[in-house]
Amino acid sequence: MLIHPLTFYTPTTLLEALNLYSSLGDVRLLAGGTFLLNNLKLLKKKGMKTPQNIVSLKKIGELREISANEKTLTIGSMTVINDLFNSPFLCDNFSLLKTVCRNISTQPIRNMATVGGNLTCRYTWTEMPAVMIGLEADLHFMGSDGQAQIISAEEFFKNAAKTDKILTRVTIKRDKKATIAYRRVKKSPFVDIPLLSIFMKTYFEGDRFTDTRVVVNNCVAFAQRDRVLEDFLNQSPCSNGIAQKALDHLDQGIYRLRSSDYKQHMFRVSIKSAIEQLIKSRNNPIP
Amino acid sequence: MTTLIVNNRKYELNLKGHETLLEVLRDHLGLTGTKTACEESECGTCTVNINGKAVLSCVTFACAVEGEEITTIEGLAQGDLLHPLQQAFIDYGAVQCGFCIPGMIMAAKALLDKNPEPTREEIDYALDGNLCRCGGYPKILEAIWQAGREMKKERSWPQ
Amino acid sequence: MATIVNKEFVNPVGKSVPRIDGKGIVTGQTKYAFDVSFPNMLMGKMIRSPHPHARILSIDTSKAEKLPGVRAIIKAQDTYNIKFGSNEYFFPHTVDQMALESEKVRYVGDEIGAVAAVDQETAEEAIKLIDVKYEVLPHVVDVEEAMKPGAPRIHESLNNIAVILPVNFGNAERALKDSDYVREDRFFMPAAHPAALEPHVCVGQWETFSNKITLWSSSQAPFKCRDALAKTLKMDLNDVRVIKMAVGGGFGGKLEMLPMDFAACLLSKKTGGLPVKICYNREEEFLSSRRKHGMIYTLKSGVKRVGTLLVMTGEVIADGGAYCSYGPTVIAAAIMRIFMLYKIQHFRITGYRVYTNTPISGAMRGFGGVQSGFAIESHIDLLAKGIGLDPVEFRLKNITTPNMITINKMVLTTNGIRECIEQATQRAQWKEKHGKQKHLCRGIGIGIAADVMGAKMYKSHESAGSIVKVEEDGSVYLFTGAADTGQGSNTALSQIAAQELGVSYSRVRCKAGDTEITPFDTGSFASRVTFISGNATQRAAHDAKKQILSVVAEELKLNVDHLNIIAEEVINTKDKLVIMSFDKALELCYSFNYGRQIIGRGSYNPKTTPVDFRTGEGNVSGSYGFEAQIAEVEVNKETGEVKILKMWDAHDIGKAINPQSVEAQIEGSLAMGIGYTFLENLQFDKQGRPANGNLAHYRLPRSMGMPEMETILIETNDPEGPFGAKGMGEASLLPTSAAIANAIEDAIGIRIKELPITPDKILKALQEKEQNEKKEALSV
Repeated sequence: MLIHPLTFYTPTTLLEALNLYSSLGDVRLLAGGTFLLNNLKLLKKKGMKTPQNIVSLKKIGELREISANEKTLTIGSMTVINDLFNSPFLCDNFSLLKTVCRNISTQPIRNMATVGGNLTCRYTWTEMPAVMIGLEADLHFMGSDGQAQIISAEEFFKNAAKTDKILTRVTIKRDKKATIAYRRVKKSPFVDIPLLSIFMKTYFEGDRFTDTRVVVNNCVAFAQRDRVLEDFLNQSPCSNGIAQKALDHLDQGIYRLRSSDYKQHMFRVSIKSAIEQLIKSRNNPIP
Repeated sequence: MTTLIVNNRKYELNLKGHETLLEVLRDHLGLTGTKTACEESECGTCTVNINGKAVLSCVTFACAVEGEEITTIEGLAQGDLLHPLQQAFIDYGAVQCGFCIPGMIMAAKALLDKNPEPTREEIDYALDGNLCRCGGYPKILEAIWQAGREMKKERSWPQ
Repeated sequence: MATIVNKEFVNPVGKSVPRIDGKGIVTGQTKYAFDVSFPNMLMGKMIRSPHPHARILSIDTSKAEKLPGVRAIIKAQDTYNIKFGSNEYFFPHTVDQMALESEKVRYVGDEIGAVAAVDQETAEEAIKLIDVKYEVLPHVVDVEEAMKPGAPRIHESLNNIAVILPVNFGNAERALKDSDYVREDRFFMPAAHPAALEPHVCVGQWETFSNKITLWSSSQAPFKCRDALAKTLKMDLNDVRVIKMAVGGGFGGKLEMLPMDFAACLLSKKTGGLPVKICYNREEEFLSSRRKHGMIYTLKSGVKRVGTLLVMTGEVIADGGAYCSYGPTVIAAAIMRIFMLYKIQHFRITGYRVYTNTPISGAMRGFGGVQSGFAIESHIDLLAKGIGLDPVEFRLKNITTPNMITINKMVLTTNGIRECIEQATQRAQWKEKHGKQKHLCRGIGIGIAADVMGAKMYKSHESAGSIVKVEEDGSVYLFTGAADTGQGSNTALSQIAAQELGVSYSRVRCKAGDTEITPFDTGSFASRVTFISGNATQRAAHDAKKQILSVVAEELKLNVDHLNIIAEEVINTKDKLVIMSFDKALELCYSFNYGRQIIGRGSYNPKTTPVDFRTGEGNVSGSYGFEAQIAEVEVNKETGEVKILKMWDAHDIGKAINPQSVEAQIEGSLAMGIGYTFLENLQFDKQGRPANGNLAHYRLPRSMGMPEMETILIETNDPEGPFGAKGMGEASLLPTSAAIANAIEDAIGIRIKELPITPDKILKALQEKEQNEKKEALSV
């Protein structure tokens, strides 16, 4: 027995799941299982308590739907990574999600792990949280009292607050005007583990950057915005030398935290490269 | 009672809820072809197919996959007739110690059933969850590539 | 070009016939020890020390004994307190480990007892209830610290040095003075782990009425295991049966008895004969099996301007962990491989195998040759550079030749190293590429290696035995003690048996590694199986053939020396005429007048001499294998990432019994070598525990990033080997790290002397190079 005995529930509707989640004590939600099961095994190995009840969301069809219209992409929280990867809706500013999905872990994990699971366990071993913050995604939660709650991805990752609501979907606004650049570095060419990534989104007004968003993903640590760099870029013309100059205008605190010399060097390399990419794509809004 | 459909057979099992699919396959159903080498979703030796997709049975709750079609390595051959993948692994020397092979074959099957003519990169990508410590990757990838072409020829091979 | 299997089974030697065990593996039917299960089987778990170094004061198991489901608990006082080791014949003082420690524990994880219970869960609960009182002692984790006077004493040896090997020839001091160019380098090679996918696992059962044990095991050396069990349990050898199941990888980690094997048997006895299974989880694998010695290799050598390698001096310090295991052989291999490759007259290298309070180092694939391969082949390149000579030219000027005796008395007969280097460099287009691709940040590098075919280690002999039984219906059984751990020895030996007997490979069934049924064999290590067990098998098949032919000769009144069996036919060797079919000959053997059972037997013990640890002399092997490896890389100077474009491996294997298997072994070794070069680094925390002891953090090579590999098989037809074959299985991972490091230097002019090669090391070296160049420019 690799994990402690527990009671397993498989509701088939969201309402059923919500009721179970609120009424059962000592309960965890099961999405893909790739995080939860390893976590439970680890807790048992350490002699710690594990939940009495598991509520599986696997059989709730409405949580697996992906749809898109003129304005919004909607991703059901139980959407499996590979299903998102194969979705025909990933164009415009959503196409970066294809890259992110492709980079996640290994194939069987991509067949099991879910978008919602990835976000709610705040697993920054992948790049999903950083990209969601960058694309200004909204996370939609539902409580058993029927109360809906929308939290922005940025807010969600800033406060590690626990909630008794279930994540039902993620929405991202379609944006044809934004220019996006993304750089990621792996730990080594021989492994599939990301070391860091940099997300940049901007708009061009004449020859200037505006409304720039820079999200720094320090893998296995955190994902957050670098507002110092954002401010610098927003006040700068998009000329060629700006990428090098930008390296003197970083929120150093972010990059030094839990970062080896090599990682800090690669942050700089990636930031410079991302800014150069933005300038290059200036005439093509979506890379 | 939980009903699991494994290799086209229905099993009625009295499960308590905490069992992983891997435990059920090996300990309850005696299907020891599926292995485990790490118990933490790193090695891929526990790979099986569920509804045609490669998944890791060590991080799958058995109760969560009730009613879904589960295929293990034992479900591939038809009597004495080996599946093209199994035959190719023998023909192209992809078998060394063999511990990774069931997982490799199941991951490859999931790929080839959807795309029988993958490029080398696509095979690499689909098999990136499977470790082989004997280092037999070149021959394993070759066997998969060849098997796909064989499967395309024998279009009547049941999926 | 992929090698496809060859289904012409007659005259199988030299053909890529399908694996004899292939079908079972691809259908999931093959049973590993991991899969073994019996009714009423109990699960066992080892009781381990939480301290790196402590005296055991008391063990109180009373609470655990009362836990429902617990069936037996053992500790040192249930044993005879007999120590066991791995190099015991030649190094009795290195026999230093007890199956269950009674006085001291020497690393976190050291075994002091074991529990058997109805399931794993209960066994783990029981262990929590066992109260052990320790007197914690100071401990030492760093190998150089461990050698200093005043360091905590782990065993009785002074300065924690388990073994010293001083190898001296000629006059090293004078030769250094006579050299035109001298340089000194220091290399660091980390600890690593075999990390076979199948963990260590065994099932032990005690037959109470006859006092006999059976152990179902995942072992590379079932007879070694039997010997150690018999010794520690004070039993007769023929009351101990070790059955090797299919093994899911060994790589040197399963080459000896471990306390778990002992415990499974003794626990079974205590329960009154129930089978007890002990299976390591991955954490225990990293903690308490056998790892690779981390090494620090200092080399100071001198060369003449014309390119003669005059002298090599230095020292190698190997971090052995808490007990000795195969330490002496590892330290010997780390030094002596040099003599197989280079003609050198003046030599002084001293090897130290040192104890530390960390997991035990054993004989991981390469036996010290991987670590030393990196150091030596990097150093050779630097020497060549120092006198402005091409690294290939430098090697060609100094390599050994066929039919020579080295300064330390190794007898080299067939020696294909020159041809290996020439073929590899030709295929890789060395002349066109070396030194000429810097503008692309590309480079090409070479490393060479030599391999032994076995070595006498734990016994006075290292013989292998085989039995070939031919049944009335023409089916052939091969009984061999050789342990197939996935390298394909069952297949190769069956091919040898079939070839020698003159029949189709399809007739042969192989039974291997069961100590009660198969003849003795020392095990799968040091690339010995094809050569030693192969010779034994050839002799056994020859004996069986002679028995059949003598019946034919008797019946037809012919001279038995003029008869042979080839391709399923008995022929007259004088006129090449067919006399009768093999089946007919057998019918005759088993007919009314004869009724002769055909049971052929053979054994082989190579004519070698053990290493004399006072001088470093010894012809350790009956033959030697050689190879040259070339790596072409591309380096990204901004990110420090290294991409391997292609690798070439030219290998003198004597004769390829099964070319497909040989290629698979080479490719597999290359993958492991690449893993050690870039990824694998087993680290220890301050308590000596593995800091990255799981597969999430200890990364193994996957197919991602693996380069295209071209293998070139060189057949030198060894006169001693079966059908000319030598062994191989380790050589291809020995020079890999150096070939890559040498290629990186060719590409971007920096030298990495510490493994693993990571992007940050490359960037740091580039930075230092830039700074040095600036300083030089300023000083001009």
